[in-house]
Amino acid sequence: MALADVCRTDSLGQKACFNLKTNSGPSRQNFVQDELNDDAFTIPTAPEAIKYMEHMQDPKSDVHIKFNHGTTTLAFKFRHGVVVATDSRASAGDYIASQTVKKVIEINPYLLGTMAGGAADCSFWERVLAKQCRVYELRNKERISVAAASKLLANMVYNYKGMGLSMGTMICGWDKRGPGLYYVDSEGQRLVGDMFSVGSGATYAYGVLDAGYSYELSVEDALELGQRAIYHATHRDAFSGGNVNLYHMRETGWEHIAWKDVKELHFRYQNEKK
Amino acid sequence: MSIMSYNGGAVIAMKGKKCVAIASDLRFGVQAQTVAMDFEKIFHMNDKLCIGLSGLATDIQTVAQRLDFQLKLYELRENRPMTPKTFLSVVSNLLYEKRFGPYFIEPVIAGLHPKTLEPFIASCDLIGCPMEPEDFVVSGTCAIQMYGMCEALWHEDMEPDELFECISQALLNSVDRDCGSGWGAVVHVIEADKVTTRRLKARMD
Amino acid sequence: MTERYSFSLTTFSPSGKLVQIEYALNAVTAGSPSVGIKALNGVVIATEKKHKSILYDEHSIHKIEPITDKIGMVYSGMGPDYRVLLSRARKIAQMYFRQYQESIPTTQLVQRIASVMQEFTQTGGVRPFGVSLLICGWDNNRPYLFQCDPSGAYFAWKATALGKNHLNGKSFLEKRYNEELELEDAVHTAILTLKESFEGQMTEDNIEVGISNADGFHRLTPSEVKDYLASIA
Repeated sequence: MALADVCRTDSLGQKACFNLKTNSGPSRQNFVQDELNDDAFTIPTAPEAIKYMEHMQDPKSDVHIKFNHGTTTLAFKFRHGVVVATDSRASAGDYIASQTVKKVIEINPYLLGTMAGGAADCSFWERVLAKQCRVYELRNKERISVAAASKLLANMVYNYKGMGLSMGTMICGWDKRGPGLYYVDSEGQRLVGDMFSVGSGATYAYGVLDAGYSYELSVEDALELGQRAIYHATHRDAFSGGNVNLYHMRETGWEHIAWKDVKELHFRYQNEKK
Repeated sequence: MSIMSYNGGAVIAMKGKKCVAIASDLRFGVQAQTVAMDFEKIFHMNDKLCIGLSGLATDIQTVAQRLDFQLKLYELRENRPMTPKTFLSVVSNLLYEKRFGPYFIEPVIAGLHPKTLEPFIASCDLIGCPMEPEDFVVSGTCAIQMYGMCEALWHEDMEPDELFECISQALLNSVDRDCGSGWGAVVHVIEADKVTTRRLKARMD
Repeated sequence: MTERYSFSLTTFSPSGKLVQIEYALNAVTAGSPSVGIKALNGVVIATEKKHKSILYDEHSIHKIEPITDKIGMVYSGMGPDYRVLLSRARKIAQMYFRQYQESIPTTQLVQRIASVMQEFTQTGGVRPFGVSLLICGWDNNRPYLFQCDPSGAYFAWKATALGKNHLNGKSFLEKRYNEELELEDAVHTAILTLKESFEGQMTEDNIEVGISNADGFHRLTPSEVKDYLASIA
């Protein structure tokens, strides 16, 4: 059980899920005990923690934490896998903080997660997810299914529902059942589907995807569709922009296809129209 | 969200040697949604005088029309071109008239004196407080970025070509750090004998 | 209620004349004379200011008045009407400055005063002004001299005379005027024109002179006028 101890998998699904119950009493010693292994967070010790933290999500409140919601991300399944594409802009209000954000999180060679909402929330929880998936592999000698992985994530963030997490992600992968695609958000919602788009530019991306999508698309056409959808979203949505980050999930794992400046795409597509 | 940044947009003007330049982006948006990319915010009042208006699009158009009306009346009545300084006063008065229900715009004026050809730039706040700096004026959703670019790039006595390069770089690099403006840009360089207008190739995101 | 009875007093006669305006002009012609002359480097206006009694404090009230620092005005006709126009003119000038932060050009001021005078020929319940004005100014690096009549008509002159004996005054000016006149000579000529029809001794107390040039408009002091008078005699 040495491995299980190190990984704290003895009670997988309870302790490792950052269970809030441990915090119901005066629980500070929990963290002091074992900072490295105990993943629980400092949560206000007020009788009703969630109520106590409500003001953080109230836009009128002075301590409201503003997340960067401007983004366009998309993923869709087709015969040859999953296409995953995102923009790369990070905005703080009207200010563009970065044009080179990597919004696709490489969980492991067979799993990708996308990033919309709070960047810290997405990257942290998907990192935790990566750990969980690795532990699963070691215990079961086989890769975790996309369904299970996405459910792990959904369960983890559900524990913090109402406490201000902000995350809208798509978990994409390839398992025994073929291409897998799930939408998971910080409200606890988890959906399975063939096509998702998340973020402020999602509607524009959906427009392009719906016009060009077919399950029988060739790899080349599918990748082009994903790229084009992101480009059009960056064009119309003020809070999306920068570069198209394009991935292809196939039976052999994901491949990074392109990192393309939308400025070049714009003038290329512009010329094609003429 | 402030009403001043509802539609987005940026305007900038600079003094050069015996010339002035004024430039704007071309975006017309409704909050995050970019609706048009050919929305000009600079208006030619006479052959040596321009005004750029940033802010709420509907007020930009109304103010531009009212100023055009006032200026044309003046020039017909007095049979002479209005000087930029006089025009600033007209703009300032027009805006202060609406002190308690303002037009949501911030004007930028650039021109040459019709007789002395002295370069002139100025700007106002939305209720008409005039400002006449020696170097450059900016207004719009990325005013802060433009101030930074101008402080870095501007220097005295630029010839028309250098001034064009300077104002273009200042504008383009500013709008590239702002969600609310960009999507193309237009630059006018006003000299004693001509006005040169150029469209800039810009990022379209 | 009152405006229902406010018909214009200036109505056409069957022959097409506005006799009220002709009467107003008669009041002007009966008024004391004034002259104005443009010179190369300025413009002069002058007027007779005779008093009925030696008890009169002649330097307390003026007929020549400044409107802006560049523009001045004099009249022939009825003094009280002049004061109304003067305060209107000053207000027009200040409103212009308030709007444009630039002092009003003489041509603009004249146009606007003339509009006021015209309004008084058509508005209900009022009569035309019993004055003609001479307005002098300096802007655009050149002198301006205008006359405004009760009808609202206005004229630009090189030199002219108004009021009693204005015809004699004009023919005198026609003989004396030339295009190369300097301001100093113009002042002399103006005083001489007044002198043509002046009854009795002309002194610094019974005429007024104002000049407008690059330095602006100002009324000559009695001692300055005295010097000019001395150099004539």
